[in-house]
Amino acid sequence: MRWRGVWTAAAFVLGMVPGSAYAQQFSLGDVPVQVHGFVSQGFAKSNENNFLTMKTRDGSGALTDGGINGSAQFTPKFRAGAQVYLRNVGDLGNGRFELDWGFADYRFTEWIGVRGGKVKTALGLYNDVQDIDFLHTWALLPQALYPIDLRGSTIGHIGADVYGTVPLKKAGELGYTAFVGKRPEDPEGGYAYGLSTFNHYDSYAGNQQGADLHWATPVEGFLVGASFLNQQIVGTGTRVTNGAQHREESKKDQTMQFYGQYARKGFRADAETRRYIRQQSLVFLNRMVNSDTHGWYVSAAQRLNKYVEVGGYVSRYVHNSRLDHSLPNNHIYDNVLTARLDFTRYFLVKVEGHFMDGYGAQDSIRGFYSQNNRSGLKPKTNMLVLRTGVNF
Amino acid sequence: MRPIRGLTLCVGLAAVGAVSVRAAVADVKVIANPSVTASSISPSELKDVFLAVRTSVNGVAVEPVLGKGGPVHEAFLKEYLGKSDVALTTYFRSLVFTGKASMPKALDSDADVAAYVAKTKGAIGYVSSNATAPGTKTLDVK
Repeated sequence: MRWRGVWTAAAFVLGMVPGSAYAQQFSLGDVPVQVHGFVSQGFAKSNENNFLTMKTRDGSGALTDGGINGSAQFTPKFRAGAQVYLRNVGDLGNGRFELDWGFADYRFTEWIGVRGGKVKTALGLYNDVQDIDFLHTWALLPQALYPIDLRGSTIGHIGADVYGTVPLKKAGELGYTAFVGKRPEDPEGGYAYGLSTFNHYDSYAGNQQGADLHWATPVEGFLVGASFLNQQIVGTGTRVTNGAQHREESKKDQTMQFYGQYARKGFRADAETRRYIRQQSLVFLNRMVNSDTHGWYVSAAQRLNKYVEVGGYVSRYVHNSRLDHSLPNNHIYDNVLTARLDFTRYFLVKVEGHFMDGYGAQDSIRGFYSQNNRSGLKPKTNMLVLRTGVNF
Repeated sequence: MRPIRGLTLCVGLAAVGAVSVRAAVADVKVIANPSVTASSISPSELKDVFLAVRTSVNGVAVEPVLGKGGPVHEAFLKEYLGKSDVALTTYFRSLVFTGKASMPKALDSDADVAAYVAKTKGAIGYVSSNATAPGTKTLDVK
């Protein structure tokens, strides 16, 4: 099953690499339609632990993803479109096609619009674009806030958004999004994988509500914001040990994120912090799982010219803030240096070094798993990541 | 004497630089299809139009038209959008790949921009102030 997924991913990648990387635009009657896509392929080599379910100690190229979208502007106020996406990251994704987003959008004015369908969730600076590799300086976004394995827990919702931009004259501009909907299933994601030693999940989904508010300040290029996400998750399945029914329910599942960005003249600095509070009831075991995780990062990048951008970030994740932060099974610290080379507008290569300390807990779901580190997790891991991609 | 002469030179160069920047800005004119009823547009409205935040001006639906490069394009981005060409491309790609907007039309030359604006209802673009743009109107930015 897994290999079928890999081959599907490979075929998708090969099929999508265009002879000439240009977006397609055509008209259906009077309606302009655009088609865009991207593919990225990575390679990772680590010195100690395997990371993100890849065999990175041996060197792994199981880091592939891609998407293709079509959208149409029916009227100046009404548009609709959809994107399919697949990924194969080690044992995650397995080349499973999914509807990444697909919605209809009506914008009444600049300060209010609505969209409904499957929508990317506005959460912090990069949640909704975390998969779009060519938008980022980094080969891997700071995993403290944007863990590849937990992508499915925040990436989108099936529901509706209300959004808009409110001009504040000399005080800048406010942008807002409020949303409500259902969190889609992610059977090939990190949560199901990480806890597969305990449970097999038939379903792990639920309701979501949240909002994002950001202020583009009067200082050119300086933006601050805050996001909130509330979820009611129900997981059902069977226990691995005895085949008994398993059910878990959120009593509290809240994500709070604060962020700031300064971008000017090829320089960009980002800072974000996220707190995630989770109280999950394991119904048949009559037990509660409580966690209060913190993550933050600070990054800076400078574009030297149209071909080269360099940068680095410091990412910090603490699994349970009430326990000793210095324990390797309670934190993952990552210091990163990156060079991004844009050979053309449509083709790039990134070279990135990760210097990681700690591996977090089994249920951190942030790259380090006991299943593929059978000789035990080591406290430090250095890793080289190469990533290339095309888009059109 | 020498420091004062150096200072004079610096001030002189700065003045020349300032004049150059102003000249670059003055070299751009914003044009629109005659269907756009407004005769002027504020810098913030113009920015919102070219960042796909605003889709109408004075109740008329508008469509931004970009140049593909060159000094006029660079001057327009710097003065009115506060973004480099790379940053603007990244901005639009983030909208396109989340379904929130389409990639705006980008054309090779002033003549192409002027011709497209002239024939397309609601189109707003920019060309060199020396360029002829028959069939379009010039919008004052103020």
